[in-house]
Amino acid sequence: MGNPCIQDVSFHGHESSHVGKLCLQMNCNSDCIHVLRSMVAVMTARAGMDELRSNRVAVAVDELFANIAAHAYGGKAGRVELETCICNESGHGRALVFDFRDFASTGWAGNLKEIAEQVPDPENLTPGGLGMRLICKVSDHCEYESLADGNHWRLIFNINDGEKHARNA
Amino acid sequence: MHETLKFERDDRDESHVLLRVTGDVTIHTSTRLREQLKPLFTTKMKEIRIALDHVDFMDSSGIATLVEGLQWSRLTGGRFVLLGLRDNVKDVFSLAKLDTVFDIEGSTAA
Repeated sequence: MGNPCIQDVSFHGHESSHVGKLCLQMNCNSDCIHVLRSMVAVMTARAGMDELRSNRVAVAVDELFANIAAHAYGGKAGRVELETCICNESGHGRALVFDFRDFASTGWAGNLKEIAEQVPDPENLTPGGLGMRLICKVSDHCEYESLADGNHWRLIFNINDGEKHARNA
Repeated sequence: MHETLKFERDDRDESHVLLRVTGDVTIHTSTRLREQLKPLFTTKMKEIRIALDHVDFMDSSGIATLVEGLQWSRLTGGRFVLLGLRDNVKDVFSLAKLDTVFDIEGSTAA
C-alpha cells in the first residue's frame, strides 16, 4: 500500500463543506500518526474545540491507531481506514465522530467499561496498558465491534460541552 | 508538530544528568527516547532530570518510557525528575493519574 489517501467529502444535506467528512486509507505504519494528527487538527478546529480538548482528541486517536497497529496487526503492515465527521444525528447531540476500520484477523477481547474504571497502582506501575485507559478517559463514548473481516472502533467526542469538559477534568 | 525527537544532554558530573527533549513523543518516536534513557539507568547515577519544556505532545508510549525511569528510581534510590511540562503534556499525565506519582518540577532551571 502506498501513501495515505485523504478525501474531504461533502456532508449530505449541508451546503457548507466545513461540516464535511474526512476519509483516510493508510497502512498502519507509525509515521502515519502525523497524518492522523493533521486530520484531528482540522476536525477539532471545525468543531470549535480549544487547544486542550483538541490535544485530548489527538491523544485518543493516536492511541487507538497505535493499538490497532500493535495488537490487531501485531506490528506488521495492515490496512486501516479512518472516517471522521461532525455529526448531528448520532444520538449524542452534536459530536465529533471517528470511525476506525481494520481488516486484521485478530480481534480485541478487553472490556471498555472495566478499562474506563481502572486506576493505576502507584506502587506497582507497569509501562503497558495505559493507551486504552486514556482512550476511555478522554472520549465521551467508545465502541468496539468485531466484524467477520476485521474490527470497527468508534470514538465520539461531544462538542457542545467541550470547553467545560476541558476545564473541569 | 515535530516528526523527530532531538536531545541535548548535559552531564553535570558522572552521577547527575539533564536530558532536554525536543519534539513530539509518540509511538513513532518514543523508541529514540528509550535509547537515550536506557544507558542512564545505572546504579552509579544519582539524579536524572528530563526537561520536557520543548515537548508539545506525548502519548502513552512516551509515558511508558518515563515509567521505566520511575522504576529505575525506585530500584536504586536515585531521583528521576520531570521538568517544565507544558499544559498539554501535563494534562495527559493528569488524565493517566500519574501526575502525583512522578517527581515533577515546574521549571527547567537546574
